[in-house]
Amino acid sequence: MNEKKAAQVKKLEAEFSELTQQIYTENDIVKKRKLIARRDKVRWKVTAIKNNRRISRETKRELIAYSFIAPNFIGFAVFTLIPIVFAFVLAFTNWDGNNAVTFVGLENFKSLPTDTFFLAALRNTIIYVLGTVPLTMVASLGLAILLNQKVKARGFFRTVAFFPYVASLVAITAVWSMMFHPSKGPVNYLLLTVLKVPQADLPKWFSGTLVLLTLILFSVWKYMGYYMVIYLAGLQGISPELYEAGGLDGANTWQKFRYITWPQLRSTTFFVVVMLTINCFKVYDIAVMLAGGGDGKLSTSATVLVYYIYQNAFNYWKLGYSSSIAMVLFVMVLIITLIQFRYQKKLEA
Amino acid sequence: MKRKLLSLLLAVTVSATMLAGCGAKATQTQDNTAVTEKPTATTAPKAPVEKEEITLKWAIWDKDITPYWVALKEGYETANPNVTIELMDLGSADYMTVLATELSGSASEFDVVTIKDVPGYATLVSKNTLEPLDSYISSAGIDLSQYGGVDNQITVDGSLYELPFRNDFWAIYYNKDIFDAAGVAYPTNDMTFEEYDALARQVADPTYGAQVYGTHYHTWRSAVQLFGVLDGQHSILDGKYDFFKPYYEMVLKQEDDQICRNYADLSAEGLHYSAAFSGGDVAMMNMGSWFISTLIANIKSGEYDASLCGNWGLVKYPHAEGVEVGSTLGTITGLAVTSVSDQKQAAFDFVNWVSGAEGAKVMAETGNFPALMNAEVSGIIAGLEGFPSDAGSKEALSVSNLYLEVPYAENVSAVNDILDTYHKSIMNREITIDEGIAAMNEEVGKVLGK
Amino acid sequence: MTNEMTGKKYKSKSKNALIGKIVVYLILFIIAAIMIVPFLWMLSASIKSNREVFLMDPFVWIPEVPKWNNYINIWTKIPLLKFVENTVFLTIVVTCLQLLTSSFAAYSFAKLEFKNKNLMFLAYIATIAMPWQVYMVPQFIMMRGMGLNDKLLAMICLQAFSAFGVFMMKQFYEGIPNDLCEAARIDGMNEYTIYAKIMLPLSKPALSTLTIFTFVSTWNDYLGPLIYLKTESKKTIQLGLRMFIGQYSSEYGLIMAGSVVSLIPVILVFLVLQKYFVEGVASSGLKG
Repeated sequence: MNEKKAAQVKKLEAEFSELTQQIYTENDIVKKRKLIARRDKVRWKVTAIKNNRRISRETKRELIAYSFIAPNFIGFAVFTLIPIVFAFVLAFTNWDGNNAVTFVGLENFKSLPTDTFFLAALRNTIIYVLGTVPLTMVASLGLAILLNQKVKARGFFRTVAFFPYVASLVAITAVWSMMFHPSKGPVNYLLLTVLKVPQADLPKWFSGTLVLLTLILFSVWKYMGYYMVIYLAGLQGISPELYEAGGLDGANTWQKFRYITWPQLRSTTFFVVVMLTINCFKVYDIAVMLAGGGDGKLSTSATVLVYYIYQNAFNYWKLGYSSSIAMVLFVMVLIITLIQFRYQKKLEA
Repeated sequence: MKRKLLSLLLAVTVSATMLAGCGAKATQTQDNTAVTEKPTATTAPKAPVEKEEITLKWAIWDKDITPYWVALKEGYETANPNVTIELMDLGSADYMTVLATELSGSASEFDVVTIKDVPGYATLVSKNTLEPLDSYISSAGIDLSQYGGVDNQITVDGSLYELPFRNDFWAIYYNKDIFDAAGVAYPTNDMTFEEYDALARQVADPTYGAQVYGTHYHTWRSAVQLFGVLDGQHSILDGKYDFFKPYYEMVLKQEDDQICRNYADLSAEGLHYSAAFSGGDVAMMNMGSWFISTLIANIKSGEYDASLCGNWGLVKYPHAEGVEVGSTLGTITGLAVTSVSDQKQAAFDFVNWVSGAEGAKVMAETGNFPALMNAEVSGIIAGLEGFPSDAGSKEALSVSNLYLEVPYAENVSAVNDILDTYHKSIMNREITIDEGIAAMNEEVGKVLGK
Repeated sequence: MTNEMTGKKYKSKSKNALIGKIVVYLILFIIAAIMIVPFLWMLSASIKSNREVFLMDPFVWIPEVPKWNNYINIWTKIPLLKFVENTVFLTIVVTCLQLLTSSFAAYSFAKLEFKNKNLMFLAYIATIAMPWQVYMVPQFIMMRGMGLNDKLLAMICLQAFSAFGVFMMKQFYEGIPNDLCEAARIDGMNEYTIYAKIMLPLSKPALSTLTIFTFVSTWNDYLGPLIYLKTESKKTIQLGLRMFIGQYSSEYGLIMAGSVVSLIPVILVFLVLQKYFVEGVASSGLKG
């Protein structure tokens, strides 16, 4: 047995030195790499035989790869993947968090269409998304194009535009509710004194139909800086030669934008729109902090899906029902992402 | 082959954790019942000692700023030296949500929990987290009539799961200085709503910069809607809310005429009622009796400017034509024993003490209203330093009929939220009063119909 | 003749360019004003008394007698220091864990071959599109089952393993040529050394960007702590600030002072790291 091993090792060692020789003489990088891989295999076999190891080289390589992934993936699987599966299951139960679980089939989903508060939340969320996504996209793209030019104090403007994004929501919603205070705030004061809006017609920013507009404006203000940075990165990836060529062809600024910038930014826009949509569907804290008043409760004019999910889960303990609303939220996000994806693919084809 | 093994292993681990998660929730309830069925298993072996050492864990809120928790704890420990009460402070902000979370599953360690409001009580009862107290009550021989009928409003399918120890009622606070400056007579203990409205209008002063509001309504729906339940004919569980209408009309009209602060403004700034009253520009405010001890303490400590609100008085709630004087709204705070506690009898003894005569005395001495209200108790509170000295304010403490803001019903939590929502919409003038009431009727009808 | 014409053309062009420049600057200044005025207002209100905050006629940015006291009082009115401590602790731990584990996993996804690589990566990508709110309830139930309710550790578990971080770092590493790793392998380095000695030093921009994102989102998170952290001594600054606003609704000066305090750390982190920021976004494929 041992003799056999020794012979094997000897043979492999010979192969090893031959390969080493070849590697040094080989000039083609691709071939060289292949040789190295082969030599590594041989070396590994040798040590494996010497140490009586039985794990194959592939397994070792995979173990290394998994060892890199494990710390994150385990956390990710336990704290994200499992709850997601759990959420799907929960949507078909009427669990209250304490009593035994009973499966109720589609009951939860069946009662959704007659639930006034769910419908109001759905409607408000959709209006909010439809308002915020295009506005933020246009604003951030416009700002990015301006800041991509050679302007003085570019860094200053960038930083300033990014400020609202880093600022905490609690703090800046407090500022907004003071600035837009319906009777004492500076915004309405300006409307009253400069634009001469009659006192009775001063907008009540945080109630009625206006509240969604306020939420949209606030979100655009807060998030445009973030998407601007993404657009800036996209713009920097466009080769200047394209513009030079366009300039030679006599393209004006609009045409340059229409035929060079916009198509070149397609994948960036895709990313921006998808991220924006996902983030907008998640709206909760903005609504509660701006429209919730002292008790953080939202009326039908300002309620949003996540608020209703929270209410059902943590106030009524209807965990199944709240999960079914969450599923609706998820399906909507999924559909919009898929539509975007298809559209993007079609454009690329 | 081995690679397959590895990925298999990975899959197994993942699904095992998953199953463990699901399994845990499925078995939890069984655990609960198991625990309830074997009473005092851990303490039984130590029985030989005459009075064993007992530690009870009691869930409360805001230990540092609420004077009576520690007073009750110490009072009970003095009376029962073998018992130690451990206070577990969960904070007041989302107390009932936190408590419901803590009590879900078998992990809870509380023996006694304080129940802050009835919707939360309903939730906990439906989650089977509270112990029915009936057998304990009958064996202790407690006469429930001492609670003046309040116990009926929190009975669930014939069982009681909490005993009230604190009972607040609503009254009108007024600022004497404002009435004096306006040369208007003080409000009285016998006002109809018409008289109250007229008085608010008389004392209000809309002059810009020196504005005085005749009255103030906090953003809670109770502050407006519940004027309607004082006649004893209606309750918020009726499912028909047309009786709210005259009061919404009165309040919105007052808003229009700048007799009271605008709801939209209040909501935008989240103005706290105490800030409104202590600001010295509000002549009257309807609020619960819990504000008495706050007002006294904060004026004393200088937190509130005594020159603005130091000279205050108290009168009974106004009443509708033909309704008995002294009818008002109440809010009870109760104590319950958890179903996972393994020393239920000891826990109940504590609950009984706190909600009984001794507890009531401790409550009154700290300026709070115990559920066991009698002449002696109101005498203690009226005699507190800082309580208005006029006879009217003293008289205002006697209540003839008390209607709970929210009596018990299975779905009271959802009903409560629906009424809150449309109250908001009406007060923000997103919808008319009629539309709002129609929506309340419809939505609550759906919930109650289930 | 021709000369004159080109001269004219040049002149009108430069005139147009000048007008264009002015318009650009005008727009930029307006936007900058809209962005920054609320912050200036916050600063100004934080040293005013309650009466002065809403005083419009005359409006002053700095009151005659600035109430610096507001900045002292907020520390005693609520346990702000405890809130800050909790938040700092959480943010630092989460950010470190996030950076470490994501870049670790991303290296494997970008540079190593293994079975189920695509499947695993798909799992990450799919959850990016999944709003957290969809599974926050089951997640909470599970965490509570693990005894993590009302523990700071729950927030760490929740935020430290985001799919987004892995995705971003992977995109970045894919931009680094494979030859670099190959060469290192030829030199006999193992994968761990390659990661530590070659990849990490190169990924400054991406790491800075991820730091900003993680730091900002952890520091400012509201709904997560609201659900998990119940005891006052465990609350974060956002919850504390919100609580403060609820309790002292009319103390505008104090609320603003508290808000300013809560902003300082994030803004500092952002200012320090921002020079890498655009580069990081560009190179980590976040642009799409």
